[in-house]
Amino acid sequence: ENISDFSLNVTDCTQVVVPEEVFFTVAAAGILENLLVLIAVVRNKNLHLPMYFFICSLAISDMLGSLYKTLENIFIILCKMGYLTRRGDFEKKLDDAMDSMFILSLLGSIFSLLAIAADRYITIFYALRYHNIMTLRRALAILAIIWTFCAGSSIAIALFSYEAATVIPFTILFPLMMFFILCLYVHMFLLARSHAKKIASLPTSTVHQRTNMKGAITLTIFLGVFLCCWAPFVLHILLARFCPHNPYCACYMSIFHVNGTLIMCNAIIDPMIFAFRSPELRSTFKKMFCCAR
Amino acid sequence: MSALRLISNRTSQQALSNSDYTWEYEYYEYGPVSFEGLKAHKYSIVIGFWVGLAVFVIFMFFVLTLLTKTGAPHQDNAEPSEKRFRMNSFVADFGRPLESERVFSRQMAEESRSLFHFCINEVEHLDKAKQNHKGPGLETNIHFEEVPRSSGMFEEDLNCLTKFNIPNFVNTEQNSSLGEDDLLISEPPIILESKSVMQSSRRILD
Repeated sequence: ENISDFSLNVTDCTQVVVPEEVFFTVAAAGILENLLVLIAVVRNKNLHLPMYFFICSLAISDMLGSLYKTLENIFIILCKMGYLTRRGDFEKKLDDAMDSMFILSLLGSIFSLLAIAADRYITIFYALRYHNIMTLRRALAILAIIWTFCAGSSIAIALFSYEAATVIPFTILFPLMMFFILCLYVHMFLLARSHAKKIASLPTSTVHQRTNMKGAITLTIFLGVFLCCWAPFVLHILLARFCPHNPYCACYMSIFHVNGTLIMCNAIIDPMIFAFRSPELRSTFKKMFCCAR
Repeated sequence: MSALRLISNRTSQQALSNSDYTWEYEYYEYGPVSFEGLKAHKYSIVIGFWVGLAVFVIFMFFVLTLLTKTGAPHQDNAEPSEKRFRMNSFVADFGRPLESERVFSRQMAEESRSLFHFCINEVEHLDKAKQNHKGPGLETNIHFEEVPRSSGMFEEDLNCLTKFNIPNFVNTEQNSSLGEDDLLISEPPIILESKSVMQSSRRILD
């Protein structure tokens, strides 16, 4: 009785609850899809390239995000059924571990996107030297550094969570990275545009000029999906730290589960816009499923 | 009544469990939130956030569209529109390869990349024995040089452009062991040379 009274007093904005079936379906789909991408890249020797390693890194971080949400839900169910106490020491440690997994997933996603953008940038602007600049070993070293840094930061953030000193850098990192990635892609676009202009200005040019929408659409989808899926959660963290008892903030925080589901949707969409664009990967999938049959 | 209680219990438990695991003790310490005297709608932050996000994404889309607008006038000729379309699509199509053009194997894909570099004329020098070329001048900017050419030459240019695949988005070639020297190209006039250029590049890549 106390509990229900408390919750009703706490906020008129009751927690928006996502049905568990939806939750688990979305999470399972995300995990499976990213696992498939990983398996495909591992099995096909043609895909042992820096570009695909970065895509794999993105797949791993997406998988971690979905895994976190799944484990958290299982945890809550176990608590509801009474198998675990809510404030035990073990549970708190487990909870800290899961929080750090989630932040690891977010940081991993951001840095993987950054690595993918940088890789494409080098491909276009340093095209001839690409194979020397981005060797397999360097790509693996870069990934190792990224993941070590993310792991360290996530553990630090989880341990000292909700100190202003951790929340603020975390929330600043997010838009900063997005902006940097946007700049890289815009620069690539500008090159493509100047190139197209030069083609068009050839004396016997056959070029039929038109707006190249595809690149704009693709890039908007890349960044738009990432923003829409992660920004709500980042805002939630900010509000939870700075105005938890403001009614407006409390109402925003009541849609926490929806934000979590959005993050898992990101895990489903990311392979579609990065990995499945590659025909080699698609053909590897077809082979895998044809052989399975 | 009891069903309602159960539901609210479940909700609250989940809320509390989540607050346990995400907000630890802080949520409890701050106590209940009062909802009296709200001036704006209680979900105003939610609505404002999503509207702002949507506006930002649309704005970004329009900016990118403007950036990719090439804006040159139409030109008419006897070329099939198919080729024209491909010429445009390679420029901006970061997501998809020109699949119908991909008759190449892995090696050919590498060749198409080096053909691209012929076309956009990147920086270094090629093996002098294989080509004639102008002075060595090293350039640091990627640029495309316009040179008088026969229509036959232009066909080859078109071919190289249509066969181009931005390597990172498309190609699945193996990590080659070509040294930097092998991929060096020279100044624009090389483009004008005929098949010998293409053949020498094939030789380099093989």
